This record gives sequence, structure tokens and C-alpha cells, in this order.
Amino acid sequence: MSERHIIDLLPGTDGNVAELGGKGAGLAGMIRRELPVPPAFVVSTTAFRTAVGAPAGRVDDRLDGLDADDPAFAGHCARARAEVYEASAAATGVLDEIAAAYDRLDPAGGGVAVRSSSAAEDSGNASFAGEHDSYLWVGGRDAVVERVRACWAGLYTERAVRYRRRTGVRGDAMAVVVQRMVDARAAGVLMTLNPVSGDRSVIVVESVFGLGEPLVSAEVTPDRFVLDKVTGEIRRRETVEQSRRLTGSAGRGTRWEPVPEPGAPSLSDAELGRLRELGRELERGAGHPVDVEFAVEGDRIHLLQVRPETVWSRTGPAPQPAAPAAAGAVHLVLATLTAR
Amino acid sequence: MSPIASDEKATDSMTSDNRFPSPFDIEAPEGAQGWEQLYNWYHLFGEDRREQDEQRFWFQDRLHHPEVLHPYDEIQCECWWQALGAFNTRVFAMPPAFGVDQRVLNGYLYVTPVPAPPEDLAARAELFGRRAGYYYENWDSIYAEWKTKVLACLDRITKISFEPLPDIEPESVVFERTGQSSGYRMIRDFSDLVQTMYETYQYHFELLNVGYAAYLTFFQFVRERFPDISDQTISRMVGGLRVDLYRPDDELKRLAREAEQLGIGDVLLEGTDPASVFAALDATDEGRQWRTDWDKTKDPWFLINTDPGHPGASHVHPTWIDEPAIPLATVKEYVRRLRAGEQIDRDTAGVLAERDRISGEYRELLDPADRTAFDQIVELARTVFAYIEEHVLYIEHWMWATFWAKSKDLSRALTAMGALDDPEDMFFLRRTEVAETLYDVVAAWSVGGTPRGANYWRPIVEQRRGIYEKLRAQPPVLAMGPPPAEINEPFTVMLWGITTASVSEWLAQRRTTDQGEKVTVLRGVAGSPGVAEGPARVVRTVGELLTVQAGDILVCPATSPSWSTVFGQVAATVSDVGGIMSHTAIVCREYGLPAVVGAGNAVATIRDGQRIRVDGDTGVVTILD
Repeated sequence: MSERHIIDLLPGTDGNVAELGGKGAGLAGMIRRELPVPPAFVVSTTAFRTAVGAPAGRVDDRLDGLDADDPAFAGHCARARAEVYEASAAATGVLDEIAAAYDRLDPAGGGVAVRSSSAAEDSGNASFAGEHDSYLWVGGRDAVVERVRACWAGLYTERAVRYRRRTGVRGDAMAVVVQRMVDARAAGVLMTLNPVSGDRSVIVVESVFGLGEPLVSAEVTPDRFVLDKVTGEIRRRETVEQSRRLTGSAGRGTRWEPVPEPGAPSLSDAELGRLRELGRELERGAGHPVDVEFAVEGDRIHLLQVRPETVWSRTGPAPQPAAPAAAGAVHLVLATLTAR
Repeated sequence: MSPIASDEKATDSMTSDNRFPSPFDIEAPEGAQGWEQLYNWYHLFGEDRREQDEQRFWFQDRLHHPEVLHPYDEIQCECWWQALGAFNTRVFAMPPAFGVDQRVLNGYLYVTPVPAPPEDLAARAELFGRRAGYYYENWDSIYAEWKTKVLACLDRITKISFEPLPDIEPESVVFERTGQSSGYRMIRDFSDLVQTMYETYQYHFELLNVGYAAYLTFFQFVRERFPDISDQTISRMVGGLRVDLYRPDDELKRLAREAEQLGIGDVLLEGTDPASVFAALDATDEGRQWRTDWDKTKDPWFLINTDPGHPGASHVHPTWIDEPAIPLATVKEYVRRLRAGEQIDRDTAGVLAERDRISGEYRELLDPADRTAFDQIVELARTVFAYIEEHVLYIEHWMWATFWAKSKDLSRALTAMGALDDPEDMFFLRRTEVAETLYDVVAAWSVGGTPRGANYWRPIVEQRRGIYEKLRAQPPVLAMGPPPAEINEPFTVMLWGITTASVSEWLAQRRTTDQGEKVTVLRGVAGSPGVAEGPARVVRTVGELLTVQAGDILVCPATSPSWSTVFGQVAATVSDVGGIMSHTAIVCREYGLPAVVGAGNAVATIRDGQRIRVDGDTGVVTILD
């Protein structure tokens, strides 16, 4: 099993973070529970090791010995990245497997997303959010293969190397998710707690028109909704006037265009209700708060990523004065009345 | 205005911007000079206590007394002034709070909560723990005894009757050897009537604030752990009990259903006024049968006061018994809904199931270490909540409706005996002056002379009526004196819905009007979700409800349970007072209408017919015209 290079994500697929990477394992978990995830396959960490394991190991050893404060450090990273990228061209066996898998996934050439999925990401301690590359609206087998190689090499961008140093991660391996592209009318993220207060009784949704990437990279101010997890009530609704959206087409990447109905909310109440259900189910399945990326296409909501919520899950919710040890409601009443 | 200019303005008038006017700087309206004689001296501001009173933050008690007080009705304020204070301060030793002090200014009631000295907190906490703990542990049996005590009070005042005194005493005085004249008994009965109200208020606060403390604790407990939770969700974990307060409405539903069974629904639907409806009903056997049921239901279920906001606050507003048009309109609405195939019964089982689901799921979201405490406090909150809702029926409705009815009997008897020109004159006398008048009448009756009352009071009552009208014409200032930096006194927040935010909103409104600008945005509490726009219909009394048309937005001081017919028609509601648990908020949520409650000055600011937008999600009212 550990020899698999290509793993189609199906309800029966097993596999863990070490093999599928954080993003791939999250998607596999959702697909096992028959949640709405666009069809995808993962180029496993085994494929990464087969293709570029030796040069990556050399590069890791070399970078380990360098001082990150050295002005030449950026240059060392760039060289490491180029070295891994070039070395991957020789792994023809693995590259052919990727091309064949792509043909099965996207026979009509509608386009795919190629996303990095490293073994260390989303581990609960370090999210690696935005540290690795993703490519949207990729079309054609050659382009897909090239983007997978770029993701492998992306382990050695300067920011990714520095991030690993800061979080104490050594010897990462890169899986890559290739997934049918969602032609998103709207997209966003949801968190099954309030990231500001740590309140676990709410689901916070942020959304934009078009693809979700400008939201993640903070290029567009999103609409923001706070939903009561238990009652479904929409507690807060902060919609902003969005004038442009990111969209795209197969093989031509992404482009900006005007929003047809600026000022309208990017999500309907019915979509918010469905997102609340999905968020609750994901959180129940994970056993801890999660954050989720989603996209809306027609009347369907697709889940694109799930990962453990990293801030509050590590620190726990805001500390509360412990309930008085002496049992009995009167002590609680007293504690409330005498609180300053 | 540029931001810089507005900054300068703010610095300029910083001192007066952050406080409300002193009660000593507020003048009587033109023509209302001498208004002080309408009220008891101990209820007034005075130079002798200026130093103390000028440093306190006073707010107009629009929750209970939004209108200018009649001199006689001052007793209503006095009942709770004393009883709330005694039970907070002296009986239960509520740790942070003494009583709520009162003053009357320009005819309006102002209140200020008195904090307990911080150094007493620990000692008071220990006393409160033992005393309130005893009540919490024995709540159900104490509440059962409470009902007996209050119903005994009701029985006592119901039995009192005030009639013109007889020329010759009945034979029973002699042959049953009662040894008491009717004149003496009239004096005694008035005294009993008043004393029984005072007694009732002991019971009112025997349980109310201890109950509120538990309810408030539950709110705080949940809110601390779930900072984003809405008050509405918290209250749904507690409410939904089948309490007696809903019974009057349930009786009207029952009468609607019975009317349909008897085949007389059309008479109710077509009727325009009670007299013609009752005449039409009396023409048939079925109609007479329904009338009998209606009359039987009246006592006690139509002993319902219609004051906007706090029921029974004054003698002015009619009860359902006084104005059968009110309950008849509700029955008519239920008949209409029955014919439209609608479900008119409250879905009690559904509300309870939802209550348990919500509290169960929130419990699961808690830290496991907090779950036992949650179980204890939610159970206590539910236990006390029945009282918090039900006492309103027993005291605010039944007791006060009966008290005002008996007072009106007395005023008619005094008028018939020549002590007053008009029954309404009595309400322009202070309670102690009524006692004096009674003595005058009884003495005159006893000796076979003429009472001095009518001649004595005529010029005084005439002057007071004039003052009263002038006072009424001028809306009260909302608050006086320096507000505390932060309002965290639990009962101010819980009972009056006055918060740090609402006080700064009042200050902001004051600045706006001081600068000669119009207020176009009012902020209150988001009482019921949704957004609606429409023409405003400003309604101050139950009588004005008849002007409301479909699609109007009801703007009122507060609503009352007896206003229920209007909620089938309006598009949204705005009330000046009330919090999330106010009647307005609860009913609007039931009807799915947007509501902003506690909007402060909506009645005085919004003109009838103006287009307004009500945002029940954010608590904002915008004047669009």
C-alpha cells in the first residue's frame, strides 16, 4: 500500500496524512463520509519520494547547515527549488502515471486545480496555510504534470523553508491534490467557532463572489455571517459591496471580472443553512473545531478543504472562572452577583 | 461636517456631553408651576438633599410609569419603592444592590438604583447565600404558599364595597350587634384597601428579585462561555412553560372555538361594536349559551389591564371587563384564523422540545467541567421563571384591576354624597387627602350635616387638572445627572434594559438635538429578527390601536398582552422600553415580526405616518422621510 503513487479519492479510499498530505487526507476523510467533494486524485508522498526523494534529501541537509539570517539564504533556497524541479523531469515513470490519472479525471478537459498537500501541513500545530502553492484552472496533461512538479519544488520556496524552521518541522514530503475545478459562483471559508472569541456555539462564514482565493489572500473584503450552531439563527450579517470577482477557464488560469450584482449578499440564507449543517457534521466527525473551504456551483456546495482550527484548538477557549466547587446553584448566583 | 470639525465640537462641550442635565436645572413647563403640590413631599427633589441627589444618575422609569402620574396613583410607585427596597436591602441582603430610589419631577417618576457599599459585599454575600439559598431550595412550596397569600389579599379587597352611606343603618347593625356604623367601615375599608396593596407588594418582592438573580445568573453563565450567543437563544432554554399568564389568551381561543361549534362565528365576525354583537347573540339560544360562558369567563380571566408596558400602573387604562371590545376583537381574529385553517393553539409541546434540544446541544458544547453547574443553574432558572412570568397575572393584573375598580367605586360614592363634583376628581387628590376627604364625608353624614369636600377641593382640583394637562404636554427628559462609566448593576440591566450602550445612545441623541439636527436613527435592542419598512403608527393607548392598518409599523411606549390583535396586522414593532424578554419582543418573535425594543425615544421622535425602517437583526430604526 505504501507503494501507491496515484490514489483516486473514493468513498472506499484509505490513507493518512503521511501518504496523502494534510489537504489530501482531509479530502479523503470527507469523501469517506460521502460529503460533497469534487472528484480528485492525490499524487502521494510516495510518488514525491520516488521522483525527487534523493535530491530533496540532499537539499534538506544542505539547507539545515545554513544560517537563515545570512543575506545569501534566499539565493540558497531558490537554487534548492530549481534543483528539485529539474531533477523531477527525470522521473518519467511517475510523470506518466500522473498524466494517465489526469486523463481519467478530466477527459473533457474542463480544467482542474493542482494543490500542494504536504505531510506536515494541517497537523493541528501548524497549518501551513498559504505557505505552499496551488494552481487553478489548469488544463491539459502537460500543464498538469508541470504544475505537480512545481508543487514538489514548492517545498523549497524561501517562505516555506522559513516557516518549517519556525515551527520546528524537519524533512517534509509533498503530496499533490489534483481535483476537478469548481466553477464557483461564490466561495469562502467557514470556521466552527468564532476565531476572535473562541465561542464554539457559532459558525462563522466568510464568502466572496467567484473563487475563494482572493478571500484567503485578503485581496477582497468578504461578506461575513455568524450563525448559531444550535438554532441556525443568523446572528450577524455583514455584507460588503464587492465589485470584482476572480474567475477562470481551463488552461487559461484565472482572471478578474466585475460582479454582476454588486451589493447583493454572496450567499443566500438557504446556502448558509446548508453550510451550518456541513460545518457541524465536519466538526462532529473531526472531534474538534475545524475550518473549511467551500465553493458554490449552481445549487451545490462543494467542500474543498478541511483542517483543524489551529489557534483555539491549541489554547482552548477563553478561560472562564471555574464554577464554584461547592455544588449548588446559590453559589453560582452569588458568584454572579459579587463579580466586579 | 468634516471629521476635524466634529472633533473640535466634541472637545468643546466635553463636560456637558457626558452627563445629563441636573434635576435642579429642569424647569416646570409653562403653566405647570406649583406642580409639586400634586405629589407627596418625600417623593420630590429638594434643596435640603440637593448635594446627594445631584450626584446620582436618575432615569425616567418608562418601564412602569411612562405617563404623568395622577396624584392618587402615586401609591403604585410607593408600593414597589418600599417593598423592592426592603427585600433587596434588608431581607435578602442582595450583595451588590440596595433598593431603587424614586423621585417625581414634573409629574414623571425617576429612579436610581442604590448600590450597596463595596465594603459590605462579603458580609452581605454570606447572608444572601443562606437566605436566598433557603428560598431556592424550597421554591416550589414557598411559591404555593405565596399564591395562597396573594389570593387571600385579592379576596379581601374583592369583598370591599364602597356605596353611598345609608340614611338609616340596616337592621343588622342592631340585631346582629355589629356595633359599627357604615361610616366607620368606609374609612376602615379604604385603609384596608391601601394596606392590602402594600401587603401584596411585600409578597411581590418576596420572590421577584431573588428569582431575577437566579435568572440573571443563568444568562451570565451562558454568555460568559458563549460570548456570541443571543439573548433570545438563552431565553429559549428557559421559557416555554405553560404558565397561568397565557391563560386569558387561551380562554379567548376556547371561546372562539366554541363560537364556531355553536354556529355563531358569523355574529362575531360581522359585529362592529360590543353592544350590537351582544344584542345579536341574545337573539338566539346558541348566542345566549355563548354569552353565559363569556360572562362566566370574565372573572377572573378578563381582569386584564391594558396599560402600555406595565399593567396596572395607573387607574386610567381600562380592563378587558371595562372595554369588552378588546377581548371581542381578539376572539374575532381567532375565529377568522380558524376559518383560514390556521392552528391557533400555542405549540407548547413543540416549544418545550425545542427548549430541551437547544439547551442539550449547548450543554454538549460546554467544557465537561462546567456541565454540572449548567444543569443546576438552568434548572433553577426554569424554576424561578414561572414566578417571574406568573406574578404579573396575580398582582399587576388581578390585584391592580381590582384596586382601581374599588377606588372608582369609592370615587363614585364620594361624588354621590357631595364630597366631590366628579368621580375623576378623586384621582387628583393624594392618597392622604382622600383619607381626609373620607373623614369629612363620614363626619358630615354622621351628624346629619353637609361635607365641606366639594367646595374645599373644587378650586384645588381645577388648578391641578390644569397643571396635569401642562405636564402631560411635555415629554420627560430621559435621564438626569452623571451616568456611571459603566452600567453593571444587575437589576438596572435586567429589569429596565438600561445598559452602558443605551445611555451613550441617549447622550448622542441629546447632542444631535442640541445641535438643532434631526434624529434620524434610533438604536435599541434587537428584539425579534428581520427587516421591514412601512408607515409608522404611533400608539400610546389601547384605544388608538383601532387606527392601525395592515402593513403599518407599530411605534409605542411598550405593548401589553391585551394588545394581541394588532400583531396580526402590523409589519414590525418599535417600543421605547423593554429588553429581550419584554412582552413586545416575545410576541413579535412568536408572530415572526421584526422588532426593536428599548429604542428610547421613538414615540416622541417618530411622527405618525413617517416611513421608517426597522432592523430587528441589529436593533436599528431609521426614519426614512
